[in-house]
Amino acid sequence: MTADMRRRIFDNLLTPILAIICGLIVSAIPILFTNKNPLAAYAMLFKNGFSFTSFRSANLLVTFQLATPLILTGLSAVVAFRTGLFSLGMEGQLLLGGMTAAWLGYAVQLPPLIHPIFAILAAMAVGGLYSWLPGLMRVRLGVNEIISTIVLNNIARLFVLYLINYPLRADPSTTAYSPMIRASARLPAFVPGSKWGVGFILALLAAVFVFLYLWRSASGYEQRMAGEAPRFARFGGIPSDRAAVRGMFVSGMLAGLGGAIQALGVHYRMLDGFSSGLGWDGITAAILGQVHPLGVVIVAVFFAGVRQGAQVGLQFAMRIPRELGGIIISLMILFVAADKLYRNGMDRITARKRRREGISSGGL
Amino acid sequence: MADDDVEFSAREGEVHALVGENGAGKTTLMNILYGLVRPDRGTISVDGRQVQISHPNDAIHLGIGIVHQHFQLVPSFSVAENIMLGREPGALGLLRTAAEREQVGRLAEEFGLAVDPGARIRDLPVGMQQRVEILKALERRARILILDEPTSVLTPQEARELFKVVRGLAASGRTVIFITHKLLEVLEVADRVSVMRKGRMVDTVAVRETSVEALARMMVGREVLLSIDRSPREPGQLVLETENLSVAGPGGIPAVLRVSLAVREREILGVAGVNGNGQAELVEAIAGLRPVDVGRIRFLGAEVSRLSVRQRRLQGMAHIPEDRMRVGLNTSTTLDENLIVSRYRIPQFNRLGFLRRGEIRRFSESTIARFSIAAARPGGGISTLSGGNLQKVVLGRELAGKPRLIIANQPTRGLDVGSIEAVHKTLLAERDRGAAILLVSVELDEILALSDRVVVLFRGRVNGELSSADATEEKLGILMAGGSL
Repeated sequence: MTADMRRRIFDNLLTPILAIICGLIVSAIPILFTNKNPLAAYAMLFKNGFSFTSFRSANLLVTFQLATPLILTGLSAVVAFRTGLFSLGMEGQLLLGGMTAAWLGYAVQLPPLIHPIFAILAAMAVGGLYSWLPGLMRVRLGVNEIISTIVLNNIARLFVLYLINYPLRADPSTTAYSPMIRASARLPAFVPGSKWGVGFILALLAAVFVFLYLWRSASGYEQRMAGEAPRFARFGGIPSDRAAVRGMFVSGMLAGLGGAIQALGVHYRMLDGFSSGLGWDGITAAILGQVHPLGVVIVAVFFAGVRQGAQVGLQFAMRIPRELGGIIISLMILFVAADKLYRNGMDRITARKRRREGISSGGL
Repeated sequence: MADDDVEFSAREGEVHALVGENGAGKTTLMNILYGLVRPDRGTISVDGRQVQISHPNDAIHLGIGIVHQHFQLVPSFSVAENIMLGREPGALGLLRTAAEREQVGRLAEEFGLAVDPGARIRDLPVGMQQRVEILKALERRARILILDEPTSVLTPQEARELFKVVRGLAASGRTVIFITHKLLEVLEVADRVSVMRKGRMVDTVAVRETSVEALARMMVGREVLLSIDRSPREPGQLVLETENLSVAGPGGIPAVLRVSLAVREREILGVAGVNGNGQAELVEAIAGLRPVDVGRIRFLGAEVSRLSVRQRRLQGMAHIPEDRMRVGLNTSTTLDENLIVSRYRIPQFNRLGFLRRGEIRRFSESTIARFSIAAARPGGGISTLSGGNLQKVVLGRELAGKPRLIIANQPTRGLDVGSIEAVHKTLLAERDRGAAILLVSVELDEILALSDRVVVLFRGRVNGELSSADATEEKLGILMAGGSL
């Protein structure tokens, strides 16, 4: 590894790590309001979020399962952002993908193995198309993708609510949900009784796919060039518009896959409250993860662990409201956005160091 | 550090030229004198008194005026309104237009700078706008006038007018600091000249005791070949031909009007003209970046005006764009990825939709070696490369496929003398190999040094064509200003 690469990796890690530290420091204030020791609270939080004792009772595995949809919506955002399009449509694509998988999960009869694969592919196609549309509108009509994807998110949410409230409603007496999928459509779990299973592996494979697509394939190259330097891409003859629309389709496929995994491996149906903002959290994970698949996986697992630790560790064991998990995450995001706060200081230190090195080596 | 331990002094009543390559520190020095940049240490004195200049207002009070390379005028205002901006005569917030114009008229007469006070800036030619800038400084009682690259936007005739004005100002006891990188101008207009290199002052000498060669040596730090050996070649078959080409510029305003030109193999066609006379639009239309309104573009005998950029490039067009930082390169990615932008689909670099990184790396290595791109590593970033090395990256990519046509738009803009030399040699070698070259430049020296034929663009039209034997600075200047021979 060259010095140049080491510096790049260090620079990319510096902001998130400092943001996490700052977030934890400031989060100590609300903990103190509850008259608890922040250090004890953090210990409890991390133990419940990330500990691994055995495959039978590992908090880490629950965290992995909770991180799975976040990884996928995060990857979806990475692919869109790397095309230079600020798509916010992961929420809607995830819902429509989940709805598609949930419906095919009970409405058709197929042998095991074939059934989930079929449902997943259909969900990915639906998610992809639902993202392709704003991409096409952007390229052909100049419609701002931020606005169109927000609108499409609402349409998807209301449409899914309509489906599970009326035509696909399973049980009129309780809250709205669709019928349970067939056993043949279920994604298997690795540990009986948990939901940590094939979905997580699919998410990791998707991360590898996104890396290969963006940084090793000609299509990904087109997409990144069009995103990073649009005038350069046009000048070089890259079909930027086609690359953008394709990027949006791939982005939607990934969010759709996230929805399918939730429907086939976690909830086994579509229900009111299916998403709880997974699309939005994915966008945050993408930004915090430096718009890179590896960063997304790390951040998604971290988010899921903090949430899980806050709920189980703090709420149940220490009687600190679980919203603290949300506060910690929000503060970390804030500190990433406000990286100038500590970046300036860091830069001054490195500049001074470099200057000293420059003088001792006799050069300028 | 931009400037280090620079000693500079100008006398009353002298024209003092300040020369140096791009990045030598001329502009930083002037920005310090005008209060735009604070020096880390050192002192400034005016009239023998040490002064503090921490804001342009301080500079104006001390009688220092500056005319920037890019004019700071309000296009929709009249000459008088621009000159009196912020110092209008009259009371109670009412403007007294007549008094204002009278005052400006007197000022113009006093300095012999004929200009109509009532004319709108946007209707004036660039040379006139520059006069307005000078008058603006004089109205504010400037005794030290700094002109930053004042001839870069002028035709040779306009430049000569300016030199007269400058001499006149010096004769009236004012000091003119004349920043330039054109050495012939220095000999024509200045009394003394200071040469900067890499943030340091090399020397200050009297113009009478120096020569272009000596100045060039001081500027670059080594011997430079000022003229390149260009032996004539017999042009081959027709490569590029435009027929009655009309192209709209930004906002749909016609920028290129019925332009017909032709370039052959082993020929460099120079396109001269003052910046903004349709060159950018012409180049973009030929390269496929801007739609053609009317007319045809024929490349190797076939009509190409509806083809995409990629199709044109595949047929053998290469393009060296004017703006290498944003158009010619993607400075946020690696050298390797910059080198393949027009060729990532060819089998050499692409297998089954995946990039062949090993091949690309090898290509990168050979390009670095062939063009001796200093400080570049295969796989490394390019954001820290100098302008000259960045241009070599562009050349390395564009010339790799042995193109039939090379469109070179301002290929040496902002480069140092050494890099200019390298670019010129490369272009001539490409011509000798058999390429047709369309060379667009606002630097007449460059046009004259390289072109086999020259056409002049004026307001989007071809205003005359000269063979290299007939082309002189004088004649081109007349054509560039819209005149006829």
